[in-house]
Amino acid sequence: RIKESQNAGKMKGSDNQEKLVYQIIEDAANKGIWSRDIRYKSNLPLTEINKILKNLESKKLIKAVKSVAASKKKVYMLYNLQPDRSVTGGAWYSDQDFESEFVEVLNQQCCKFLQTKAEAARDSKQNPMIQRNSSFASSHEVWKYICELGISKVELSMEDIETILNTLIYDGKVEMTIIAAKEGTVGSVDGHMKLYRAVNPIIQPTGLIRTPCGLCPVFDDCHEGGEISPSNCIYMVEWLEF
Amino acid sequence: MTQAEIKLCSLLLQEHFGEIVEKIGTHLIKTGSQPLRVIANDTGMSLDQVKKALCVLIQHNLVTYQLQKRGFVEYEAPCSRVLRILRYPRYIYTAKTLYSDMGELIVEELLLNGKMTMSAVVRKVADRLTETMEDGKTMDYGEVSNTFMRLADTHFIQRCPMAPETTETSDAPPPPAPTLAVNEKDMYVVPNLNLIGKGKRRRSFDDEDNGEHKAKRQKQDADSQESPPDDGIYWQANIDRFHQHFRDQAIVSAVANRMDQTSSEIVRTMLRMSEITTSSTAPYTQPLSSNEIFRSLPAGYNIVKQILDQYLTLLADDPLEFVGKSGDSGGGMYVINLHKALATLATATLESVVQERFGSRCARIFRLLLRKKHLEQKQVEDFAMIPAKEAKDMLYKMLSENFVSLQDRRQR
Repeated sequence: RIKESQNAGKMKGSDNQEKLVYQIIEDAANKGIWSRDIRYKSNLPLTEINKILKNLESKKLIKAVKSVAASKKKVYMLYNLQPDRSVTGGAWYSDQDFESEFVEVLNQQCCKFLQTKAEAARDSKQNPMIQRNSSFASSHEVWKYICELGISKVELSMEDIETILNTLIYDGKVEMTIIAAKEGTVGSVDGHMKLYRAVNPIIQPTGLIRTPCGLCPVFDDCHEGGEISPSNCIYMVEWLEF
Repeated sequence: MTQAEIKLCSLLLQEHFGEIVEKIGTHLIKTGSQPLRVIANDTGMSLDQVKKALCVLIQHNLVTYQLQKRGFVEYEAPCSRVLRILRYPRYIYTAKTLYSDMGELIVEELLLNGKMTMSAVVRKVADRLTETMEDGKTMDYGEVSNTFMRLADTHFIQRCPMAPETTETSDAPPPPAPTLAVNEKDMYVVPNLNLIGKGKRRRSFDDEDNGEHKAKRQKQDADSQESPPDDGIYWQANIDRFHQHFRDQAIVSAVANRMDQTSSEIVRTMLRMSEITTSSTAPYTQPLSSNEIFRSLPAGYNIVKQILDQYLTLLADDPLEFVGKSGDSGGGMYVINLHKALATLATATLESVVQERFGSRCARIFRLLLRKKHLEQKQVEDFAMIPAKEAKDMLYKMLSENFVSLQDRRQR
C-alpha cells in the first residue's frame, strides 16, 4: 500500500500509458527489458513507447544500460537498480570488452597454485591418504590466494574463481571433487564444498599425432597414386631421416 | 573394410607369401566367403593353385573354412586378421620382454610358421640359440621346453583346434571338411614330452656324421626323426592374449601418470592375478580381496598391509574409477573396471588428437562439449571463457573437419 502511494506520488501528472510502461520495466527488475519487449507487453505503438521512455528517463525514473549480450541492445530498468551480471558481463567484462588476457592470467595463477600444492604433498612423503588430502584446495582457499595476490583490479567473488577453475578442468589440468561440509565451515555453500587438485594427463600424446600424417593439412587428399601420396610426401621423408 | 585396408592387406600378403597367395587372399577379403570352385573361376587360376594358396593361408591362420548346411565348404579371409601381420614385431618384442630371448624366438617361430608341434619348435629354437652362443656351448632342449610351458601357462600360445577322432565303425562317409575343435580345458595343456637333446649348429660338422656329404646328412636327420611323440598336436600364437597384455600395460601406465608408481604396481598386480581368470572381453575383473593382493605383490615391494589398504581405498575413490570396491570381506574386495578404463583411455586419446591438431583452446572447447553433450554457441563462450569471435572460429574449424557436429533445435 505504502509503496503504491509513493509511486503514485512519483507518477503524478503521468497518464495511464506511462504508468503501464513503468510497471513493465519495474517487473523486469535488475535484468532490464528491451524496448521491443515493452511494446509487446503493453501493446502500445512504437512512437508512443519511445516518447514515454524519453519522458521517464528525463524524470530519472528509469535508465538505459548497454547489454553485453548484444552491444547494440539497450535494456531499460529502474533508475536506482544495480544491473545484473548477465547484463554487464560481471568481472570479466570492462565496457563490453571481454578481458581475455585477465582471464588467461587468472587461469595460469590458479593452475600454478594447485600444482605447487600437489607437488608439496607428493614431496612430503607422508602416507598416501594424507598426501592425497593435502594436495586438494577448496575453492575458498584458491579465492583467498588470488585476492591476496592483488592482481585483480575488480573484486572477485568465490563464484568467479570457480568459473576460472572450471576452465582448468576443461583444460584437463585440474580435477574436482565435491564433499559434504558442515554448515558454517569456511568456504562451504549449501552443505557442500568444492575441492580442486592439479593432475597430470593420463597418456602421452597419442601415436597418430607423433607422425606427420596426424598433423597434415592435406590428409584427406592423400592416397597412393595421387598427386599427394605417401611415397612422395616430403614431411614423411624429413621425419624418417631422424 | 575400406579400399585402403584392402590395399594394405594385399601388400602384406604379397610381401610375405608371394603373388599367387596374394591374388587369392585379396579376392577372398573383397568378396567374403566363397567355395573353392567359385574362387578358381573368379580369379581365373587353376584349381591346384587355389588349393595350394588356401593351404598356405589356412596354415597361417589367415583363412578359415566352414561346412555349409548344403554340404559344400566356404572359405573366408577376415581383413582384420590379415592386418594383424603388422603387429607381429610388437608381439615378438613383448615375448622378449617377458621371457627373454627364448620366448622371443618361440613366438617368432610360431608366428612365421603359423602352426607347429612343440617338438619342432623346441628343436628349431634350440638350434637358433646355439648358433648365437660361444663355440662349444649348446642350448639344452629342457630349458626351451620350460619357456614353452611358461608361455602356454600364461596363455600366450595355445593349441590349435584338432580333427576329431574317427571311429572305425562309422558307416557314414567322411564329411567334405573336418570340423576342428579343441577342448577349452586342453587349450593350454602342454603334452608330456620328454625332449632330451641339445641344439645343433648348422655349420658344425663336428658331430657323429663327420665327413659325410651335406645332402646326405640332412636326409639322415629327416629319417632319424620318425614320428614325433606329439604328432597332431599343433600350437599357435594366441594373438588376443597379446592384445590383452597391451591393454593392461596401457591401464597401468595411465595409473602411474595420474597417481604414483606404487599405485600403478598395485594395479599391475591385480591385473596379473586376473590374467587367466577373467575373459578378455569382461567389463571388470573378478573381485580380489585385499589380503590376496597383499600376498601377490612383487617380492621387492615393502609396504605394510595398512598402507596397501590406504592405496586401495584411494584407487577406489579416485574420479578415474579404474578400480572399484565390490565388498568388504577379506579386508575389502576390489575389481578393475576394464570397460571404464578403456573408455577413459579412448577419450584421452581423442582429446590428445584435438589438442595437437587444433591447439589447447580448441581442446578446452572439445573437452567441454564431451562433458556437457550439447551446448549453444553462447554457452560454449561462457563456460570456456573464450571471447565470442575466437570461440566461433574454433568451433567452425572443428566442425569443418568433422570433430564436432551441429544440431538444429527448435526454439520453444
